[in-house]
Amino acid sequence: MMIVNYIKVAFRHLLKNKLPTSLNIIGLTVGLASIMTLGFGVYSYYDADSFIEKKEELYTLKTVLANGDEIDQTTYPLLGEIIHTSPDVAAATHIQGWNWPWLKVENKELQKNTKYVDTSFFKVFTLPLKYGNPKTALQGKYEIVISDEVSKQLFGDLNPIGQNITLDDSLNVTIQGVFKSLNPYSSLKFEVLLPTALLESTSDFKQGANWYNSFSYNYIRLKKDTDINKLEGDIWEIVMRNYESTKGLERIALASFLNYREDYNPTVDTIIKGSIATIVFVLIIVIINLLNLNTSVIYNRKKELAVRKIVGSGKRSLIAQFCIENAMLVFTSLIIAGILFIQVLLPAMNTIYGSRFGSIHFDLTSDYPIVILYVLSGILITVIVGIIPILNIISMPIILSLKGKSQNTNKSFFVRNTFITIQFALAIVFICVALVLKNQIQYMNNVPLGYNPEGVSIVKLNLDYKDKEAANSRIAVALEELKNNPYVQSFSTTEVIPTSYRYNYNNFYDPVSKVELGIRKGHAGQGYAETFGISLIEGRDFDELRDASESKSVIINRKAMESFGWSSIANKKVVEKGGKEETYNVIGLLEDFHYQDMQNDIEPILHYYGGKRGLGYNNSYLSIKITPGKEDLVINNLKGAFDDIASRHEFNYEPMNARVSSQYKLLNGILNTVNYVAFITIIITCMGMFGLISLNARKRVKEIGIRKVLGAGTGTITYLLSKQFIKLVLLSCVIAFPIAWYVMDSWLQNFAYRIDIKWWMFAASGLIALSITAITVGFRSIKAASANPIKSLRND
Amino acid sequence: MLLELKNIFKWVNSGGNRFYMLKDVNLKVEKGAFISVMGPSGSGKSTLLNVLGMIDTFDEGEYYFNGEPIHQLKGKMRSHLFKENIGFVFQAYHLIDELTVYENIETPLLYKKFKSSERKALVSDMLDRFNIVGKKDLFPAQLSGGQQQLVGVARALIGNPKLLLADEPTGNLNSKQGEEIMEIFKQLNQEGVTIVQVTHSEKNADYGTQIIELLDGRIINRK
Repeated sequence: MMIVNYIKVAFRHLLKNKLPTSLNIIGLTVGLASIMTLGFGVYSYYDADSFIEKKEELYTLKTVLANGDEIDQTTYPLLGEIIHTSPDVAAATHIQGWNWPWLKVENKELQKNTKYVDTSFFKVFTLPLKYGNPKTALQGKYEIVISDEVSKQLFGDLNPIGQNITLDDSLNVTIQGVFKSLNPYSSLKFEVLLPTALLESTSDFKQGANWYNSFSYNYIRLKKDTDINKLEGDIWEIVMRNYESTKGLERIALASFLNYREDYNPTVDTIIKGSIATIVFVLIIVIINLLNLNTSVIYNRKKELAVRKIVGSGKRSLIAQFCIENAMLVFTSLIIAGILFIQVLLPAMNTIYGSRFGSIHFDLTSDYPIVILYVLSGILITVIVGIIPILNIISMPIILSLKGKSQNTNKSFFVRNTFITIQFALAIVFICVALVLKNQIQYMNNVPLGYNPEGVSIVKLNLDYKDKEAANSRIAVALEELKNNPYVQSFSTTEVIPTSYRYNYNNFYDPVSKVELGIRKGHAGQGYAETFGISLIEGRDFDELRDASESKSVIINRKAMESFGWSSIANKKVVEKGGKEETYNVIGLLEDFHYQDMQNDIEPILHYYGGKRGLGYNNSYLSIKITPGKEDLVINNLKGAFDDIASRHEFNYEPMNARVSSQYKLLNGILNTVNYVAFITIIITCMGMFGLISLNARKRVKEIGIRKVLGAGTGTITYLLSKQFIKLVLLSCVIAFPIAWYVMDSWLQNFAYRIDIKWWMFAASGLIALSITAITVGFRSIKAASANPIKSLRND
Repeated sequence: MLLELKNIFKWVNSGGNRFYMLKDVNLKVEKGAFISVMGPSGSGKSTLLNVLGMIDTFDEGEYYFNGEPIHQLKGKMRSHLFKENIGFVFQAYHLIDELTVYENIETPLLYKKFKSSERKALVSDMLDRFNIVGKKDLFPAQLSGGQQQLVGVARALIGNPKLLLADEPTGNLNSKQGEEIMEIFKQLNQEGVTIVQVTHSEKNADYGTQIIELLDGRIINRK
């Protein structure tokens, strides 16, 4: 029954103190909603791989190069050899990407992320099947396992086990399993699984899957107590025995799967660590804020607490009462925050990170652990902010609190000042991070690209044509028209374009000097340099008139020339390692250009001749430089031509400018997040400070009155009340700057092209914090300072 | 005998000097007594009352309440004893602003874990007795000083204390309201409640059966 009384009193109190109550609820709600959203991201991240059992037994293979670089791939046959020779391997599988076949069921047809796996796949990864038996799935050559999302799209809600799917209109496979779609943060990314046996029977795969090409991802489950060093030694022996060349290779390493995701995508790791840090910081700020505001409210309620003790309340009941009051506040905020999280912040987060990592969705049936966690945190917050502010009061003699005396010793001042300093320091760190990041992004956007994206339109060429021959000839006609179109300044068809070079490397050497170099490569064609405005400093562009002999020609960039130790490309040749050891003439030299974003440095690159302009064998992009204003005209003509061709994908094009700016989409998203966090940190901190200064003014109302009677002006008193806070902000700056500097300096190391952190960035953040403080504090202080002294003195 | 103070001292140290707030106070309070404590400002009246009420400590001496040695008891036992036996009335009423008249009076019973039906009966009796039934749903701020003090007295009495302590209960009231309160005290005393009150007013002091005069922390006169 006591509890009814508590709730009643709590409710009346909250209503009576509308300002602190609403400050508390707003601050809490915003803070908690942010924590929930970030927390959900972190939770999804750590939960994403939870279906994989005994991760500590799992390893991947890494090729370590002599120069220290590590590659996640090895040659394809290596894994089979390891399985045959090593007794330590419990199970192992490739997860091989090759092509994404079109899946057809009756009249429905779709294409999804497809991986080829070995028969031991389900022994390596304990991926639970919604339908089907993991023991028997994918054992035969013509079997398939799909995600429940794919299943839903093809079969609706039916159990599709045993049904047939036609791959690329040519091959029938039977569905052996359906798994629950993987979380986008999972280490494994696929929606369709096919057996490697199927892949191994295709001729072009067989050709590439030799002991030279490293393009395979390998996953191994080892037996307990395996000696990793010894196994690595055994693997190296296999490599020495079988590899066509081990030049430039240091060893093959077994990398623990536990670090797999972080290795594979360091940005995700940064985001997750950043999120965790932010959660902790925001939580600290929210709690401190509540503590401060509660302390200020308590001051007015000392008398009530004393009276309650006199009429018979024990300490425990007082604590219970106060906790219930806070619980009402916290849980109201928690509920509003929950709505905000699901309706506003989660969708916002998905728009920021979704395109890169996939969207995450909240589903109560599977995500209830996090709800429980939030409720527990709510209780914890309640207890902390309910107990700490009144401990001091309930333990002091009743008579003191009854007289309204405060035991406000230096100690509690010190505690509160520490709180404010921490809050501000955190806020300033966030502002600094935002400022530095903003400048970095701006800088990267302003570094000359070395090519000109202006007026260039990119048309995708791989549309999965039903009849490639027909497509080829129709496109040839369309390109012929482009040549004659007066608005087309130039065009080219290539495998690669800036922003989209493949991770395709090989070693080349100079037959004269024998200098050998790992070079990134791709196919280009006539007009590539011209269309993108890349300056050709020496030699010539590819020339279709010399089509017959041009396949022996390559064009390299300046970095490649310098790395070979040449000063000119005149009469230079390069030989490609592996296989046939083809020799190429270097016919052109391109000035270095930023074919990837500024996070990465320019490496040596090489372009082969991709054949006459057209669909070709490798060409993925048609790039067209169009007279400004005539883009729509040219593109619409082209679209007409492509619409004649039967294909599975639709015609699509994109201005090159859009591709360039989307390179920093993720960073811009992170910037927005940091901005947001900095903003709410400041807001919450200011609310807390506003509460404190109100308390301060109230406590010193008599002092202010006396000072005014003695002739102090409003300005003097405002200064008197504010100076303490200004000092604290300055102290926070001193604490925050080194932290911000350290954080940003280590982050900027990830960028090949980066700004220097300048002193003015810190000055600006400090100034922002200071002015916000001055406004908040000043506003309340002026109000206190201009109060009528007679009134405040009479009150006593 | 209800309580006895033996050689009670209370002091504060300030700047190397010791100032006595109570100095060698000896006092016996019989059951059913009505004692008025008088003396000028700063003579230690309120301090004495607070010591009696166990809401303030003392530095030396012995205090027996109902035969129990308070000076030897731990905090928890002491507050239990306090809760069961003592009611307090203040000059400034000290009602809880957020509670209605009814709830203010009810609160001590809640802390004593009375059943709902019992609470209802007791509070209704009290409201009837002081003739404030019509005010039961009002908040303290909506009452006059006299009415607030009535609620204060009702709250002090609801737990049926053996001892009622009143610190200038009429100090904030006009003379008519003051008289009313004193009449009630007199009546309570006749019903058997032991009362100790602190007062400035001779007239109020005369309601009591004994008068104790304090000066500089010492009892200088007993009537």
